[in-house]
Amino acid sequence: MSGVLRDLTVLDLTRQFSAAMAAAFLGDFGARVIRIELLPAPPRKTSGRWNHEADLIHRNKQSVALDASQPRGRELLEGLIARADVIVTDWERDELVALGLDHAAVSALRPEIIYGRLSGFGPEGPDRDLPAIDELAAARTGAMPMLPQPGQPPVYTGAGAMHATAQLAFGIVLALLHRQRGGEGQAVDVSLFGANMYGSSLDLQAFLAIGAGERLLHPISRLDVSNPMSGSLYPAADGRWVTLTMPDTDRWWPAFADMVGLARDDQRFDSHEKRTGTNRGVLIAELERRFAAQPASHWRQQFQQRQLSADIIERFDYPAGDPGARANQYILDLDHPSFGTIHSLGFPIWLSDSPARLDRLAPCAGQHTGQVLQELLGCSRETLHELAAAGVVAEGRPA
Amino acid sequence: MNALDGIRVIDLTVWFQGPVCAQYLADFGADVIKIERPQGGDQARGVRSIKAVEIGDWNQYFLVINRNKKSMALDLKKPAAQEILYRLVEKSEVFLSNLEPAMLAGWNLSYEKLAAINPRLVYATNTGYGRFSQVARPSFDMTVQALTGIMARLGEPGQPPIYLGMGSGDAYGGMMSALGILLALYECQRSGRGQQVDASLYGAQLFLAAPQLQAYLAGDESRALQHSRRSVENPLWNLYPTRGRWVYLCEPNEDARFTALGRALGNAAFAADPHFADADGRRRHNEALIAAIEAETLRHDDGELMAAFRAEGLVASPIHNFADVVRDEQAWRNQYFLKTYCEEVQREVSIRGLPVTLSKTPGEVHTLGPQLGQDTELLLMDLLGYDWERIEALKAEGAIP
Repeated sequence: MSGVLRDLTVLDLTRQFSAAMAAAFLGDFGARVIRIELLPAPPRKTSGRWNHEADLIHRNKQSVALDASQPRGRELLEGLIARADVIVTDWERDELVALGLDHAAVSALRPEIIYGRLSGFGPEGPDRDLPAIDELAAARTGAMPMLPQPGQPPVYTGAGAMHATAQLAFGIVLALLHRQRGGEGQAVDVSLFGANMYGSSLDLQAFLAIGAGERLLHPISRLDVSNPMSGSLYPAADGRWVTLTMPDTDRWWPAFADMVGLARDDQRFDSHEKRTGTNRGVLIAELERRFAAQPASHWRQQFQQRQLSADIIERFDYPAGDPGARANQYILDLDHPSFGTIHSLGFPIWLSDSPARLDRLAPCAGQHTGQVLQELLGCSRETLHELAAAGVVAEGRPA
Repeated sequence: MNALDGIRVIDLTVWFQGPVCAQYLADFGADVIKIERPQGGDQARGVRSIKAVEIGDWNQYFLVINRNKKSMALDLKKPAAQEILYRLVEKSEVFLSNLEPAMLAGWNLSYEKLAAINPRLVYATNTGYGRFSQVARPSFDMTVQALTGIMARLGEPGQPPIYLGMGSGDAYGGMMSALGILLALYECQRSGRGQQVDASLYGAQLFLAAPQLQAYLAGDESRALQHSRRSVENPLWNLYPTRGRWVYLCEPNEDARFTALGRALGNAAFAADPHFADADGRRRHNEALIAAIEAETLRHDDGELMAAFRAEGLVASPIHNFADVVRDEQAWRNQYFLKTYCEEVQREVSIRGLPVTLSKTPGEVHTLGPQLGQDTELLLMDLLGYDWERIEALKAEGAIP
């Protein structure tokens, strides 16, 4: 077996990271993803440095550049749509309608198409046409004020946009599977707003259910954490942080108490109720003092030796240097034609018999115009030259 | 008609990542059978509070992510229960577990064993750190998130690292897992062959900060560090305090937008300051400009400020909290929130709904999470053809409760 989606053609009408990455996931698993560049193309800045973002979000894609405002360009675009299985877009609704690329227009040309769109706030409701900006969506989702320490500004994480990527790819493959099993084509919508709701903590579901709870509406100091042994943070001697996740404290207490140098039968802490209730503050203060006595490396070694659910809070240098991230292809080492050895995010999903693979880095605009129009629409070399001369299409060459 | 009608999933998962993965499939019509140990079942059934807030009279942690599922109680340490699982594998398309591979092997539930019974089976795991890591240690959401580097780069400089919140990474790992399962099902439909799938908590969470981690991998070391809102490069795309809620302004660093901002803030003096006259100036004097904008925004509450921004066509949003969100019409209209009947308390309750909208085969929620083992006998009889005598024998052996 090779790529799961090898028989499928995807048109990529995306601008932003999130939807572009969803299309790249389809390409990773074998789909032919054609990025459409509408002419006239805006001028591009080239920095002379590796375009690391493009080589992540546009990997495994081809690029076709055409001018859809000319009748012959429009015809080519419609020809591609008629042969496509999937469209992925994050363009605004009025823009899509103006170009005849909205779901209604496209499905008239190609009823079987799966039309995947990343929106800001979903397909329904008064705010359905607000722009797809993750910060706006995150601001509406309620988690931002909860994340920092009390008195600090709200925190934007960017994680919602990444949830949207996975959700959009999921929705598209779900619709493809349905079609493969005899169903029709359809539209798939994933919004940054909805994605942020699933990207935020379970506190949201709790508040929705309970409808009250000051601790679900205001940030909690790390020195007032609900369970000193779970969801907690303590600075080590070298200023690095340790974090503990041992919700069931009865299970972990003996080994944990030994490690921090408290007596297992210390009467202040000899039950879950005392540790997380009556003497919670005392335990937090003890742990604050004890973790500050040794550097983070000491604690990591102790956590591992005693098989505790705890670790050090790392920076990006950790995954960047982690052999496990390479072994699982979460991070790839690549040979770039212009920049030598480069490191890139890889594939979060492993399939044993039809794994994701990297066939090519990002295309330059129009790099595959000739190839795609020949293979999919049967355009001859002569026609292509003529179209290029008339400015209907453009053929780019790799830098 | 549902997208996943006729797809049966064996859901041998606990806590969050695995269960929520199966939930995404169940929402779209898959027949998900949750397998639980007879004593207590999934540990998440025991959750009683969140952030020391009592969860009330129903366990929304467990019941929401296990919605639309059946429950079968099996003591998989017993060979007779393993035999039941094998019969189930014959009639299923997917086996999903977030238990440790060593534990599954100990119960004779390895891929090799199950694939020999059903070569079409999609065998999905949610490991902590990936199938090819030499790491065997507990992998809860926060400790794994800690290793990815995302926590350390959030917050103001000097502040403690920031956790994205309970379940934030699990939900992502669950979605990656569900995507992997669908891909493998797509392949199986065509080739008739199953395969193994893994989506680890670590692998998924490395993508939570993908734009920043990718830039770091390309050599931009500053991306690993905390950055202050007082020094962002474009002051027009930033968080500002007001007398009420904070406001997020999202505008490009362009002259027309800057002029509009000056008007919205009552022709504030900074708008005429030659330092800020062009994009480059605003970038170079970003800290001074941010301080100047903030001095103005602090004179208003968020309602006034938003009205002024709207009048100038400026894109912005107040920073809501959960009390605001649960009233947000947009969330209800798109079924991101739903109301559904909860058997446990005999009333309608509010839950997180369907983040992925399909126009012709939308997801739906028909039941909340099952009671432990509620479908055991029915499934044994109707699906697997066991007779009552055999069921009594299984009870006597302790394979089922």
